[in-house]
Amino acid sequence: MHGYKRYMLFSILPAFAFLALFIYLPITQGVLISFQGYTLYDMNNVKFIGLDNFKAIITDINFPFIQILFNTAIWVGVSLLMQFVLGFVLALLMRKPFKGRGIYSALVFYPWAMSGFAIGLIWAWLFNGQFGVINDILLRLGLISTPIGFLSNPSYAMISVLVANIWYGVPFFAIMLLAALQSVPAELIEAATIDGAGSTRRLFSIIIPYIKPTIVSTTLLRTMWIMNFPDIIYGMTSGGPANSTNILSTQMINKLLQFYDYGQGSAFGVVIMSLLFAFATFYLKLTSTKESDAA
Amino acid sequence: MRKALVVLVAMLVLVSTAFTASAATTLEFLEVMTSPERTALLKSMIAEYEALNPDIKINLISPPYEQSEQKATLMLNTNQTLDIIEVRDLSAKQFVNNGKLTDLTEYLEAWTDAEPMTAVANAAARTVDNTPYLIPANIYIKALFVRRDVLREHGIHEIPTTLEELVETAIKITDPSKNQYGFTWRGKSSEIKFSDLFAAPYVEELKDAEFVYTDGEHHFRESGFKEGMELYIKLFKEAVPNDGINWGFNEQINAFVSGTTPFLIQDPDSIPLLDKMLGPDKYEVHPIPVGPYGFNYIDYGFAGLGIPSYSKHKEEAWEFIKWMSTSDKNGYYNQHYGPLPVHTATFENNEHFQGKHYVAYNYEMNHPEIFVPIPYDLSSEKWPGWAKIHETDMQSVLLGRMSLEQALGKWAKYWD
Repeated sequence: MHGYKRYMLFSILPAFAFLALFIYLPITQGVLISFQGYTLYDMNNVKFIGLDNFKAIITDINFPFIQILFNTAIWVGVSLLMQFVLGFVLALLMRKPFKGRGIYSALVFYPWAMSGFAIGLIWAWLFNGQFGVINDILLRLGLISTPIGFLSNPSYAMISVLVANIWYGVPFFAIMLLAALQSVPAELIEAATIDGAGSTRRLFSIIIPYIKPTIVSTTLLRTMWIMNFPDIIYGMTSGGPANSTNILSTQMINKLLQFYDYGQGSAFGVVIMSLLFAFATFYLKLTSTKESDAA
Repeated sequence: MRKALVVLVAMLVLVSTAFTASAATTLEFLEVMTSPERTALLKSMIAEYEALNPDIKINLISPPYEQSEQKATLMLNTNQTLDIIEVRDLSAKQFVNNGKLTDLTEYLEAWTDAEPMTAVANAAARTVDNTPYLIPANIYIKALFVRRDVLREHGIHEIPTTLEELVETAIKITDPSKNQYGFTWRGKSSEIKFSDLFAAPYVEELKDAEFVYTDGEHHFRESGFKEGMELYIKLFKEAVPNDGINWGFNEQINAFVSGTTPFLIQDPDSIPLLDKMLGPDKYEVHPIPVGPYGFNYIDYGFAGLGIPSYSKHKEEAWEFIKWMSTSDKNGYYNQHYGPLPVHTATFENNEHFQGKHYVAYNYEMNHPEIFVPIPYDLSSEKWPGWAKIHETDMQSVLLGRMSLEQALGKWAKYWD
């Protein structure tokens, strides 16, 4: 037994070493930097400054922390919900074979293969207030009389970046949920149908409980990715106008690229990591309790 | 026996390649202002240099533009092998602060056949601590691009020479119902370089200032500065589509090319782009309009070449930089890339830079009493991030979420 344990330890060692080197070490480094005065402007004067970076980002009058947190909540919440719902609908539609399904699913999955910055640029042009296709269509349909400044009007800017992000994330849920749906045994659904369950009942009592593990893990993963995904916003509005689309991860990039302040940038990184950690713990606890209740 | 022969041959090949490799010195060269066209241009120039100097090989490193500045910082701060580095105005101070650039004073003193550079280029070389840490290669200054065809349609034949005239003309031709506006706004990414151009020349003392503003010396409380800002805001409200708040370089070029906004303030690297998109005869370039005191400031941007302090091939790197910094090569480089060359001779001898689109730039550089060269204080520790703060505040002012007085007060406090 002792020998077996040692064998097991040796077996996981390479994987652990890999993780330690490429994941844990950089994270530790990042956390350490968040407590240091660390700006590229003056690399010879790096020193520990306690919680000053955190104080600075929370009390920043130029980029109000509360507003950034609020924007982040909207960005993550709305993106996730809409991506999930639309992705689920698409997966349900594609579950049964139909003519041209292969081409159709390839088209649906296409956005997922694109880079975030490219998507940001494409949507920035679509939403452009002067030459944008969206304004053009609305004008031609007679729905508006003057073009809307989608990306320059704070009321529209967040909606516009959300539309781009939802468009981007739907395929992920469609792919993952479609795979899960295909694993639901046909006889189970058949049996339910014979027992008189309608389609709504089948969906909520058979299909969703059956694929719940996939739903839990995909929504959790997406929450993390959306929160850590500044690309689209950066490409479309750079967090503007006047902070109206500035979220934690775009402000982190601002601190790094504009302010050269790696200390405050890392502080934002630590805030993001802590929020995600708290969310993941809470979410997993919540979903696993329900699972044992159901059992 | 056969195996032994194979091993022997393999060893011989290895040894011979090792010898040939050691005969040539390889220089690592990192470019920062990367674009596919420019990389191709640099590679062709490097090939020419290598053909002239068979014992030198130059390996050009071209990270994508968005990451290049970070890559440069990272390579320098971790002392990765690098012999020539492109240094731009924004990063020079940071590299010097961290002790990563070689002071080129001695090299310059020994360079007896150096050709005279323009005043702006000389100042650029000594931007940090009045010490030459780089040899400038490309100069960027702003001028007024004009669509005369659009103006003519509106019965306007005079090109504005003052800021006030510019604003008046722009407002005059604006007619939102026909999607006709007057001025190509810049709302993000360095919008500060446009708004300051309207406000700062309303302060007469600016003419003698060392910097547009610096720590403890600024003009945000001057009534003149406020007057200039009010004019600029008026321009936005009456001659710019609302969408302008979110316009960066690409949106600007598009609006100008489409004729929606026939006035554009831009650097000379827009010229090759506009030539391609619009045709060289469809637009004109004029000097920047001046303020009420008959002057405006010229804030010059630049990029040049430097040698990392830890390079093991400084002499070879310097030889290459010297070659790139002859008026012949520098002229060729800028002619195909867009910005202004650094030598006075190029403006006199190179036909391209005598062309109609460059006359205004040449005029600006040769009339420092009207176009006073005043840089931003990029060395100030308050500079990094300032442009982003300004952008956010300016957007708030244009959206009516902050008053101009509030913004000016905030900026004054920041620079006090």
